[in-house]
Amino acid sequence: MKLDKTGPLEYSTQQNQMNILGFWIFLGAEIMLFGTLFASYFTLENGVGNGPTGAEIFEIAPVIWETIILLTSSFTIGLAVHAMRINRKNATLTFLAITLVLGLAFLGIEIYEFTHYYHVGATLQTSAFTAILLTTLGTHGAHVTFGLFWGAFIFLQIKKRGFTPETTNKSFIFSLYWHFLDVVWIFIFSFIYLKGLM
Amino acid sequence: MMKELFPIKQVMGFVFSLVLTAVALAVYFLDMSFQLGMTILLVTAFIQAALQLVFFMHAGESNDKNAIYTNVYYAIAIALVTVFGTLLTLIWGYM
Repeated sequence: MKLDKTGPLEYSTQQNQMNILGFWIFLGAEIMLFGTLFASYFTLENGVGNGPTGAEIFEIAPVIWETIILLTSSFTIGLAVHAMRINRKNATLTFLAITLVLGLAFLGIEIYEFTHYYHVGATLQTSAFTAILLTTLGTHGAHVTFGLFWGAFIFLQIKKRGFTPETTNKSFIFSLYWHFLDVVWIFIFSFIYLKGLM
Repeated sequence: MMKELFPIKQVMGFVFSLVLTAVALAVYFLDMSFQLGMTILLVTAFIQAALQLVFFMHAGESNDKNAIYTNVYYAIAIALVTVFGTLLTLIWGYM
Protein backbone atom coordinates (compact mmCIF):
# COMPACT_ATOMS: atom_id res chain seq x y z
CA MET A 1 0.00 0.00 0.00
CA LYS A 2 1.43 3.33 -1.07
CA LEU A 3 0.94 6.06 1.48
CA ASP A 4 0.79 9.66 0.36
CA LYS A 5 1.95 11.68 3.37
CA THR A 6 1.36 15.11 1.85
CA GLY A 7 -2.38 15.33 2.49
CA PRO A 8 -4.69 14.28 5.31
CA LEU A 9 -4.64 10.57 6.26
CA GLU A 10 -8.13 9.96 4.83
CA TYR A 11 -6.78 10.71 1.33
CA SER A 12 -3.53 8.80 1.79
CA THR A 13 -4.14 5.84 -0.53
CA GLN A 14 -5.53 5.53 -4.03
CA GLN A 15 -8.35 3.42 -2.59
CA ASN A 16 -9.17 6.15 -0.08
CA GLN A 17 -9.38 8.81 -2.77
CA MET A 18 -11.63 6.59 -4.86
CA ASN A 19 -13.86 5.90 -1.84
CA ILE A 20 -14.35 9.62 -1.29
CA LEU A 21 -15.02 10.31 -4.96
CA GLY A 22 -17.41 7.36 -5.08
CA PHE A 23 -19.28 8.69 -2.09
CA TRP A 24 -19.68 12.07 -3.76
CA ILE A 25 -21.24 10.29 -6.74
CA PHE A 26 -23.61 8.55 -4.35
CA LEU A 27 -24.50 11.93 -2.83
CA GLY A 28 -25.23 13.16 -6.37
CA ALA A 29 -27.79 10.37 -6.69
CA GLU A 30 -29.20 11.33 -3.28
CA ILE A 31 -29.63 14.95 -4.44
CA MET A 32 -31.68 13.64 -7.37
CA LEU A 33 -33.70 11.35 -5.06
CA PHE A 34 -34.69 14.27 -2.86
CA GLY A 35 -35.29 16.33 -6.02
CA THR A 36 -38.00 13.85 -7.07
CA LEU A 37 -39.51 13.94 -3.56
CA PHE A 38 -39.68 17.74 -3.62
CA ALA A 39 -41.14 17.69 -7.14
CA SER A 40 -43.86 15.31 -5.90
CA TYR A 41 -44.42 17.40 -2.79
CA PHE A 42 -44.95 20.64 -4.75
CA THR A 43 -47.31 18.81 -7.09
CA LEU A 44 -49.41 17.23 -4.36
CA GLU A 45 -49.27 19.77 -1.51
CA ASN A 46 -52.64 21.31 -2.43
CA GLY A 47 -54.38 17.95 -2.67
CA VAL A 48 -55.62 18.01 0.90
CA GLY A 49 -59.08 16.53 0.28
CA ASN A 50 -60.94 16.32 3.58
CA GLY A 51 -57.67 16.24 5.52
CA PRO A 52 -55.77 19.08 7.18
CA THR A 53 -53.54 21.58 5.37
CA GLY A 54 -49.91 22.19 6.23
CA ALA A 55 -50.71 25.47 7.96
CA GLU A 56 -53.15 23.60 10.24
CA ILE A 57 -50.78 20.87 11.41
CA PHE A 58 -47.24 22.36 11.29
CA GLU A 59 -45.86 23.59 14.61
CA ILE A 60 -43.07 26.16 14.41
CA ALA A 61 -41.36 25.51 17.78
CA PRO A 62 -40.31 21.86 17.21
CA VAL A 63 -39.22 22.73 13.67
CA ILE A 64 -36.95 25.53 14.92
CA TRP A 65 -35.45 23.16 17.49
CA GLU A 66 -34.88 20.47 14.87
CA THR A 67 -33.14 23.01 12.63
CA ILE A 68 -30.85 24.36 15.35
CA ILE A 69 -30.00 20.86 16.57
CA LEU A 70 -29.16 19.57 13.10
CA LEU A 71 -27.12 22.68 12.19
CA THR A 72 -25.15 22.29 15.43
CA SER A 73 -24.56 18.59 14.77
CA SER A 74 -23.29 19.46 11.29
CA PHE A 75 -20.88 21.90 12.97
CA THR A 76 -19.67 19.33 15.53
CA ILE A 77 -19.03 16.62 12.90
CA GLY A 78 -16.99 19.24 11.02
CA LEU A 79 -15.02 19.83 14.23
CA ALA A 80 -14.55 16.07 14.61
CA VAL A 81 -12.93 15.87 11.17
CA HIS A 82 -10.77 18.88 12.01
CA ALA A 83 -9.66 17.26 15.30
CA MET A 84 -8.94 14.06 13.39
CA ARG A 85 -6.65 15.94 11.02
CA ILE A 86 -4.59 17.35 13.88
CA ASN A 87 -4.42 13.86 15.37
CA ARG A 88 -6.55 14.49 18.48
CA LYS A 89 -8.27 11.20 19.12
CA ASN A 90 -10.18 12.10 22.29
CA ALA A 91 -11.43 15.38 20.85
CA THR A 92 -12.55 13.55 17.69
CA LEU A 93 -14.45 10.98 19.72
CA THR A 94 -16.03 13.70 21.87
CA PHE A 95 -17.22 15.71 18.87
CA LEU A 96 -18.48 12.55 17.18
CA ALA A 97 -20.38 11.57 20.35
CA ILE A 98 -21.94 15.07 20.57
CA THR A 99 -22.96 14.78 16.92
CA LEU A 100 -24.68 11.46 17.55
CA VAL A 101 -26.46 12.70 20.69
CA LEU A 102 -27.74 15.71 18.73
CA GLY A 103 -28.85 13.38 15.94
CA LEU A 104 -30.75 11.32 18.48
CA ALA A 105 -32.39 14.48 19.86
CA PHE A 106 -33.42 15.48 16.35
CA LEU A 107 -34.93 12.08 15.78
CA GLY A 108 -36.78 12.27 19.11
CA ILE A 109 -38.42 15.55 18.08
CA GLU A 110 -39.30 14.14 14.68
CA ILE A 111 -40.94 11.11 16.28
CA TYR A 112 -42.92 13.47 18.54
CA GLU A 113 -43.94 15.37 15.41
CA PHE A 114 -45.11 12.22 13.66
CA THR A 115 -47.24 11.17 16.65
CA HIS A 116 -48.67 14.71 16.69
CA TYR A 117 -49.63 14.35 13.01
CA TYR A 118 -51.23 11.00 13.76
CA HIS A 119 -53.28 12.49 16.61
CA VAL A 120 -54.56 15.37 14.50
CA GLY A 121 -55.62 12.92 11.79
CA ALA A 122 -52.79 13.34 9.28
CA THR A 123 -51.69 9.83 8.35
CA LEU A 124 -50.13 8.29 5.26
CA GLN A 125 -53.61 7.48 3.94
CA THR A 126 -55.38 10.77 4.71
CA SER A 127 -54.67 12.77 1.55
CA ALA A 128 -52.18 13.24 -1.26
CA PHE A 129 -50.65 16.07 0.80
CA THR A 130 -50.14 14.06 4.00
CA ALA A 131 -48.87 11.06 2.03
CA ILE A 132 -46.10 13.01 0.27
CA LEU A 133 -45.36 15.03 3.42
CA LEU A 134 -44.79 11.93 5.54
CA THR A 135 -42.89 10.19 2.71
CA THR A 136 -40.51 13.13 2.30
CA LEU A 137 -39.98 13.69 6.04
CA GLY A 138 -39.75 9.94 6.58
CA THR A 139 -37.10 9.48 3.89
CA HIS A 140 -34.96 12.15 5.55
CA GLY A 141 -35.64 10.70 9.03
CA ALA A 142 -34.71 7.20 7.84
CA HIS A 143 -31.41 8.59 6.55
CA VAL A 144 -30.73 10.18 9.95
CA THR A 145 -31.59 6.91 11.72
CA PHE A 146 -29.23 5.00 9.44
CA GLY A 147 -26.55 7.64 10.08
CA LEU A 148 -26.84 7.19 13.84
CA PHE A 149 -25.97 3.48 13.59
CA TRP A 150 -23.22 4.19 11.05
CA GLY A 151 -21.71 6.91 13.26
CA ALA A 152 -21.86 4.70 16.34
CA PHE A 153 -19.87 1.98 14.57
CA ILE A 154 -17.30 4.52 13.40
CA PHE A 155 -16.99 5.76 16.98
CA LEU A 156 -16.19 2.22 18.14
CA GLN A 157 -13.68 1.67 15.34
CA ILE A 158 -11.73 4.86 16.10
CA LYS A 159 -11.80 4.03 19.79
CA LYS A 160 -10.43 0.56 19.16
CA ARG A 161 -8.02 1.08 16.25
CA GLY A 162 -7.13 4.77 16.45
CA PHE A 163 -6.45 6.78 13.31
CA THR A 164 -5.52 4.60 10.35
CA PRO A 165 -5.99 5.25 6.62
CA GLU A 166 -9.15 3.12 6.90
CA THR A 167 -10.77 4.64 10.01
CA THR A 168 -10.03 8.24 8.98
CA ASN A 169 -11.41 7.56 5.50
CA LYS A 170 -14.60 6.09 6.96
CA SER A 171 -14.98 9.01 9.37
CA PHE A 172 -14.52 11.58 6.63
CA ILE A 173 -17.09 9.86 4.41
CA PHE A 174 -19.51 9.70 7.34
CA SER A 175 -19.03 13.45 7.86
CA LEU A 176 -19.95 14.04 4.18
CA TYR A 177 -23.13 12.04 4.69
CA TRP A 178 -24.04 13.94 7.84
CA HIS A 179 -23.48 17.36 6.26
CA PHE A 180 -25.60 16.25 3.32
CA LEU A 181 -28.51 15.38 5.64
CA ASP A 182 -28.25 18.87 7.09
CA VAL A 183 -28.44 20.37 3.59
CA VAL A 184 -31.56 18.33 2.82
CA TRP A 185 -33.11 19.47 6.09
CA ILE A 186 -32.51 23.13 5.18
CA PHE A 187 -34.65 22.57 2.08
CA ILE A 188 -37.34 20.75 4.06
CA PHE A 189 -37.30 23.53 6.66
CA SER A 190 -37.59 26.25 4.01
CA PHE A 191 -39.85 24.77 1.34
CA ILE A 192 -42.09 22.49 3.33
CA TYR A 193 -42.46 24.08 6.78
CA LEU A 194 -41.84 27.79 6.30
CA LYS A 195 -43.57 27.86 2.91
CA GLY A 196 -46.52 25.98 4.42
CA LEU A 197 -46.76 28.33 7.38
CA MET A 198 -46.30 31.54 5.41
CA MET B 1 -6.41 24.52 22.87
CA MET B 2 -9.76 26.18 22.13
CA LYS B 3 -8.26 27.82 19.09
CA GLU B 4 -6.81 24.54 17.96
CA LEU B 5 -10.06 22.60 18.18
CA PHE B 6 -12.41 25.37 17.01
CA PRO B 7 -10.93 26.73 13.76
CA ILE B 8 -12.25 30.18 12.91
CA LYS B 9 -13.41 29.10 9.45
CA GLN B 10 -15.76 26.45 10.85
CA VAL B 11 -17.01 28.68 13.68
CA MET B 12 -17.79 31.45 11.19
CA GLY B 13 -19.53 28.94 8.92
CA PHE B 14 -21.69 27.82 11.84
CA VAL B 15 -22.54 31.36 12.94
CA PHE B 16 -23.38 32.30 9.37
CA SER B 17 -25.67 29.28 9.00
CA LEU B 18 -27.53 30.32 12.18
CA VAL B 19 -27.89 33.86 10.82
CA LEU B 20 -29.30 32.51 7.54
CA THR B 21 -31.79 30.41 9.51
CA ALA B 22 -32.88 33.51 11.45
CA VAL B 23 -33.33 35.44 8.19
CA ALA B 24 -35.39 32.57 6.74
CA LEU B 25 -37.58 32.62 9.88
CA ALA B 26 -38.52 36.22 9.07
CA VAL B 27 -40.98 34.87 6.50
CA TYR B 28 -42.89 33.28 9.38
CA PHE B 29 -42.65 36.03 11.98
CA LEU B 30 -43.07 39.05 9.69
CA ASP B 31 -45.97 39.87 7.43
CA MET B 32 -44.95 39.73 3.79
CA SER B 33 -46.18 38.74 0.37
CA PHE B 34 -45.82 35.13 -0.83
CA GLN B 35 -43.46 36.21 -3.62
CA LEU B 36 -41.12 38.08 -1.29
CA GLY B 37 -41.18 35.20 1.20
CA MET B 38 -40.30 32.62 -1.46
CA THR B 39 -37.50 34.83 -2.77
CA ILE B 40 -36.00 35.09 0.71
CA LEU B 41 -36.28 31.32 1.23
CA LEU B 42 -34.68 30.50 -2.13
CA VAL B 43 -31.76 32.83 -1.43
CA THR B 44 -31.14 31.67 2.16
CA ALA B 45 -31.52 27.94 1.36
CA PHE B 46 -29.11 27.95 -1.57
CA ILE B 47 -26.48 30.05 0.25
CA GLN B 48 -26.83 27.72 3.21
CA ALA B 49 -26.30 24.66 0.97
CA ALA B 50 -23.24 26.21 -0.71
CA LEU B 51 -21.85 27.06 2.74
CA GLN B 52 -22.04 23.43 3.87
CA LEU B 53 -20.50 22.22 0.63
CA VAL B 54 -17.47 24.48 0.70
CA PHE B 55 -16.84 25.14 4.41
CA PHE B 56 -17.77 21.80 5.94
CA MET B 57 -17.59 19.21 3.19
CA HIS B 58 -14.16 20.31 1.94
CA ALA B 59 -15.41 19.91 -1.63
CA GLY B 60 -12.50 21.76 -3.21
CA GLU B 61 -9.46 20.41 -1.39
CA SER B 62 -8.52 17.16 -3.16
CA ASN B 63 -6.93 16.36 -6.53
CA ASP B 64 -10.25 15.23 -7.98
CA LYS B 65 -12.06 18.43 -7.06
CA ASN B 66 -13.09 18.97 -10.67
CA ALA B 67 -14.73 15.56 -10.81
CA ILE B 68 -16.47 16.24 -7.48
CA TYR B 69 -17.78 19.65 -8.51
CA THR B 70 -18.87 18.41 -11.95
CA ASN B 71 -20.77 15.58 -10.31
CA VAL B 72 -22.44 17.89 -7.77
CA TYR B 73 -23.42 20.47 -10.41
CA TYR B 74 -24.80 17.70 -12.61
CA ALA B 75 -26.87 16.32 -9.72
CA ILE B 76 -28.19 19.77 -8.81
CA ALA B 77 -29.05 20.46 -12.47
CA ILE B 78 -31.01 17.18 -12.69
CA ALA B 79 -32.78 17.92 -9.39
CA LEU B 80 -33.73 21.46 -10.51
CA VAL B 81 -34.95 20.24 -13.90
CA THR B 82 -37.00 17.57 -12.12
CA VAL B 83 -38.56 20.04 -9.69
CA PHE B 84 -39.20 22.94 -12.08
CA GLY B 85 -40.06 20.68 -15.02
CA THR B 86 -42.67 18.99 -12.86
CA LEU B 87 -44.07 22.33 -11.70
CA LEU B 88 -44.19 23.58 -15.29
CA THR B 89 -45.92 20.54 -16.77
CA LEU B 90 -48.24 19.66 -13.88
CA ILE B 91 -49.02 22.94 -12.07
CA TRP B 92 -48.04 26.19 -13.76
CA GLY B 93 -49.25 25.09 -17.20
CA TYR B 94 -52.80 24.87 -15.86
CA MET B 95 -52.99 28.06 -13.84
